[in-house]
Amino acid sequence: MNRKLKVIVSCALAIMMIASLVGCGSTTTSSKKDSKEIIFWSVFTGPDGENMNRMIEEYNNTNPEYKVKHRPIQADEMYQRIPTMVSSGKDIPDLTIVHAERVALFAENEMIMPLDSYIDKNGTIKQENYVTSGWNIGGLNGSRYSIPLDVHSFVTYYNKDLLAKYGPNVLDDNVITLDEIREVGELSKKDEITSMGITWMRVKFLSWYEQLGGKLSEDGTNPSFNNPQAEKVLDDIKGLVTNGYANQDGEDTGQLFRSGQLVFWPEGIWMQNSLKEIKDLNWGMAHLVTFDPAKKVNWTSSHQFTMLKNPSMTDEKAEGIMNFINWIGENSLEWAKAGQVPASLKILENEEFNKMPHAFLLKEQESLSISGYKYFGFAAEALDKIVWETVFDKMDIKEGLEQAEKETLDRIAASKKQ
Amino acid sequence: MYNKKNKNLTPYAFIAPHLILFIIFFAIPAVFGIFISFTNWNIMSSPKWVGFQNYYEILLNKDSTFYMQFHNGLKNTVMFVIFTVPVSIITALSVALALNAKPKGNKFFQSLFYLPSLLSISSVILTWHFLFNRNLGPINNIFNLKINWYGQQPFTWIAIVIITVWWGIGGNMVIYQAALASIPKELYEAADLDGAGAIIKFFKITLPSMKNQLTYTVIMTTIAQFNIYGQPLMFSKGGPKGSTYVLLMYIRQLAFGSGESIAGLASAMAVMLGLCIISVSSLQFFLLRNND
Repeated sequence: MNRKLKVIVSCALAIMMIASLVGCGSTTTSSKKDSKEIIFWSVFTGPDGENMNRMIEEYNNTNPEYKVKHRPIQADEMYQRIPTMVSSGKDIPDLTIVHAERVALFAENEMIMPLDSYIDKNGTIKQENYVTSGWNIGGLNGSRYSIPLDVHSFVTYYNKDLLAKYGPNVLDDNVITLDEIREVGELSKKDEITSMGITWMRVKFLSWYEQLGGKLSEDGTNPSFNNPQAEKVLDDIKGLVTNGYANQDGEDTGQLFRSGQLVFWPEGIWMQNSLKEIKDLNWGMAHLVTFDPAKKVNWTSSHQFTMLKNPSMTDEKAEGIMNFINWIGENSLEWAKAGQVPASLKILENEEFNKMPHAFLLKEQESLSISGYKYFGFAAEALDKIVWETVFDKMDIKEGLEQAEKETLDRIAASKKQ
Repeated sequence: MYNKKNKNLTPYAFIAPHLILFIIFFAIPAVFGIFISFTNWNIMSSPKWVGFQNYYEILLNKDSTFYMQFHNGLKNTVMFVIFTVPVSIITALSVALALNAKPKGNKFFQSLFYLPSLLSISSVILTWHFLFNRNLGPINNIFNLKINWYGQQPFTWIAIVIITVWWGIGGNMVIYQAALASIPKELYEAADLDGAGAIIKFFKITLPSMKNQLTYTVIMTTIAQFNIYGQPLMFSKGGPKGSTYVLLMYIRQLAFGSGESIAGLASAMAVMLGLCIISVSSLQFFLLRNND
């Protein structure tokens, strides 16, 4: 009897295990052909996810034929799951947010579908309604693969009180130059106030390098950033560190800025909401610090709406998706509140948006630079390993650039064999 | 007949839950990973067989970035293992010994030491990142230092080792406590009669009695530390100058970075790391077992 019981219990356990494992595969994300629901995957797992939820709720309240269901998912995890999901053809979300830098790669590997026929049918989604740099990134080889939701740039935050004290004339032309960083630094360092923070070096390097006329790749394939322009960028910033105009390695620039010990803080526009909580901090936002006041370049990325390749997609549902994308474009104030610049130019008609600190980016949209370099991911990760180290004098600049360019080249060569 | 069959099935039914999980989450991915290491594969298209080319690239081709990354990553990983494993074992053992003396509040301290093991790596690093902050961190302020723990050697390694030991002390400590509790008191009483001091008792009675547990923890800790990833990734981002860039960081970036996946090379690196772990653990097992 006892033995029988044991067998029964263990068999039951084993069956439960198997059943639960089988359960792993068939998550509830599956959207059947006839379901009247648009499954929308996004990377908005932070507070911006709340803003997106509010927008979707509002959209669903308009009673569209296809309602939208939002599923925020960690970017890393999402990008890992997409290839296996698409090749299995199961549980594919209907609409997916992808970063601008990934669009070219996904399109080339047929992970995402061209949207031309759907856009044509919709009729209201048009190039002229969107910010150019955000729109251009989705057009490849004559087809359109994505529609921009927003553009988000790396800009300069400044402390208004400190600036009035150390550089009252800096913003006369609305631009902060590196020379002005030095002038302010010369005065402020006597009071132990740092002029500029060294923050995310990769994107600042890219902006400055482009200001000096540099390109990540001259021919669109091979990297070409081991050159005098790149050296000048790193050397100049290193000079700011050595002369005490910029912070020293290991110092927390966000903390310095929040506590009023830093004049200029280059950061992403998405950081603004965290500053609003600090009551006695009087801050403003301007273009990223420039070498030459005549050439403003703000490194920018963009969240793009894409449709993963999905054999069970119907024309009716695609129509519903296009309606949703278009609606978002026309009602994007909530997204601007999340600290992003909506890609739809319609937002410029909105007064509330025009008063926001980051509205200037849309008015000067020629300053926004989104990289369309196919191997951007390789170059960016290679640069990450050296830009910080060279600026803080832990690595020789020439040696660093050589290493980064070689790494990019080797990864491109390895990827081409595949 | 029925009975006999029944008898044969029973053990399998018992190991089935573990076996199924083992096959699905370990055996199949491991075999697949080894297969991928002999191919060129970007995850999105189908893999192309290339034989030992990926291994040649990382092991022998000195001009290749991947050779440099593999060697730098493995060197840093091994260094981390050498720094961390002895400290982890010794601190956990010391704490277990101290608690075993049943000082006042030992249950409280036991929970306190065990607590960090329950935290995720992200919260651990977040906390320590603040503690090691250059200007505001308590560590620099208490000791009146100006050290940049995130990016200046040897301080970065010291910080990473401290964090790791603090995080993992609980697991080994509990095992040692159980081992200490099961040593018969008579042995110590007999030693007292023979006039043995505390140190002799420790080396002649305590340590030999815990040999199995020590072997187990040394091997498990070594395996765990070879898989170091989160600490340098989040604390020092691999710096300064790549000196804490560990192998798993390179592997992950190659396979799941923001560019196209180069899964073949990444798998080859992972297989080599696996081989290292197997050989080091076997050596440890062999040495510790034959100590008698």
